[in-house]
Amino acid sequence: MFLRLLISGLVLGGIYSLIALGYSLIYKASGLMSFVQGDVMTLGAYLGLTFYRILGLPFVVSLILTVLCAFAFGMLLEKGVIRVLLNKNVLPIYVVLATIAISYIIQNGVQLGWGSITQYFPSVFSKSSVKVLSVSVQPEALLCVGASLVCMVLLHFFMTRTRFGTAMRAAAMDPTAAYSCGINVSMSTGITWGLSAGLAAIAGMLIGPMYGVYALLGSMIGSKGFSGAVIGGYGNMYGAMVGGILLGLAEVFVTGYISSTYKNLIAYILLITFLFLKPTGLFNERAIQDD
Amino acid sequence: MALLQLVDFHYYYGNIHSVKGIDLHVDEGEMVTLIGANGSGKTTTLQTISGLTRARGVRGKILFKGQEIQGKTGDKVAAMGILQALEGRHVFSKLTVEENLKTGAYLRKDMAKIREDIRDVYRRFPRLEERRSQLAGTLSGGEQQMLAIGRALMGRPKLLLLDEPSMGLAPLIVKEIFVAINDINREGTTILFVEQNSKIALATAKRGYVMQTGSIVIHDTCENLMNNEDIKRIYLGAS
Repeated sequence: MFLRLLISGLVLGGIYSLIALGYSLIYKASGLMSFVQGDVMTLGAYLGLTFYRILGLPFVVSLILTVLCAFAFGMLLEKGVIRVLLNKNVLPIYVVLATIAISYIIQNGVQLGWGSITQYFPSVFSKSSVKVLSVSVQPEALLCVGASLVCMVLLHFFMTRTRFGTAMRAAAMDPTAAYSCGINVSMSTGITWGLSAGLAAIAGMLIGPMYGVYALLGSMIGSKGFSGAVIGGYGNMYGAMVGGILLGLAEVFVTGYISSTYKNLIAYILLITFLFLKPTGLFNERAIQDD
Repeated sequence: MALLQLVDFHYYYGNIHSVKGIDLHVDEGEMVTLIGANGSGKTTTLQTISGLTRARGVRGKILFKGQEIQGKTGDKVAAMGILQALEGRHVFSKLTVEENLKTGAYLRKDMAKIREDIRDVYRRFPRLEERRSQLAGTLSGGEQQMLAIGRALMGRPKLLLLDEPSMGLAPLIVKEIFVAINDINREGTTILFVEQNSKIALATAKRGYVMQTGSIVIHDTCENLMNNEDIKRIYLGAS
């Protein structure tokens, strides 16, 4: 029982983390909340399905194409909508409202494109189960845990060990100073949105084979990913990783040991608890206004 | 031909006409200062040269090596060799001292020379070397100013702009910073700096412009400015 729950918790947690990362990266780079993260995940799942099932491409190729499409979508969103609104001097809250509108447009758009019934996402491996110690699990579950962890480790190295990753962090910390160092901050912000969309799309492709693909796939997961980001410390990259995984584990263990009634409640109870008791999250991100 | 030349330069913040048509030039190798009271338009002028203000507010010409640069974004201006240590220092607080310096060399690809230049900054400001792996946000004000100047130097400036290098610092540190600024200029870097501390500014630079509510009221050598009765009375606090 424990091991089975642990694995399900990590699967869900990995997904939440990938979504939470998007929220936090965007908040840091633009000072905004983007509510499209969950729906970009849905979009990623549909794109993956198209490349993998309909066009019959290998899974890895489908994954790469999906990520590239999502990256372009995220960047276009920033350049074509967000930046345009900001240049009109629109108040940030209205830009956030625009992201909510886009979230609904994606939800309805995918129904127009792919129909409203749940689509079957074929399994990635030929085996239907593998043994982990004494428990048999879907190999896709292990892929999900492994791939999301790999994404997080790669992101960490990209952000801290590469010239461009450091420049992106610098641009998010202090745009004026970054410009004065020769960093194209506008480009770096666009890339951050692209990266966030790419991470969400990976989550969509990892969860597709387990959940099936439907228009509202990402809406609940999206809001829980948001909760994971707050738990970790909104805006903190490592907080998003840890917060997401902890949330996945909490959800699965509460469902398993207490009752499934609380399954969708726990994320929001934790969210509000953290806001009251520790708004800075697990990683002490700045959350209180200076006087 | 001057390295930098402002011709009838204006700046508008919306309806507020904050710089009202100034002419200014800096020759190759020179050190020039722009002094004046708070709100006279000095920082706006410097930030606009660096491409850090909104392009739509700019009127008139900014020429760098004879080429018009007004309206270019900050990263493009930096790529041309105009680098600025900003007012209020603006170090990247969650990056280490060394990461800050490397970010200053963001546009450069010559890794070996970058390492050499980092050593050069450490030679100039030994306190930065002691704190090389410390987060910049934990440095003292003076150390942050050294880092801001060091970071600008990492871009190998053809023109170095400094905005209020003395701001908020103890007199002893101010002296140390200005000795370094003087050295940087003597070693060949052209400098234009803005300063509220007129005494030390006029003692350091060769020529000075005095700005008052958006206009340049006097322009002369620093030696003459120091002996000017009006300047003495208004800016140097002599009775």
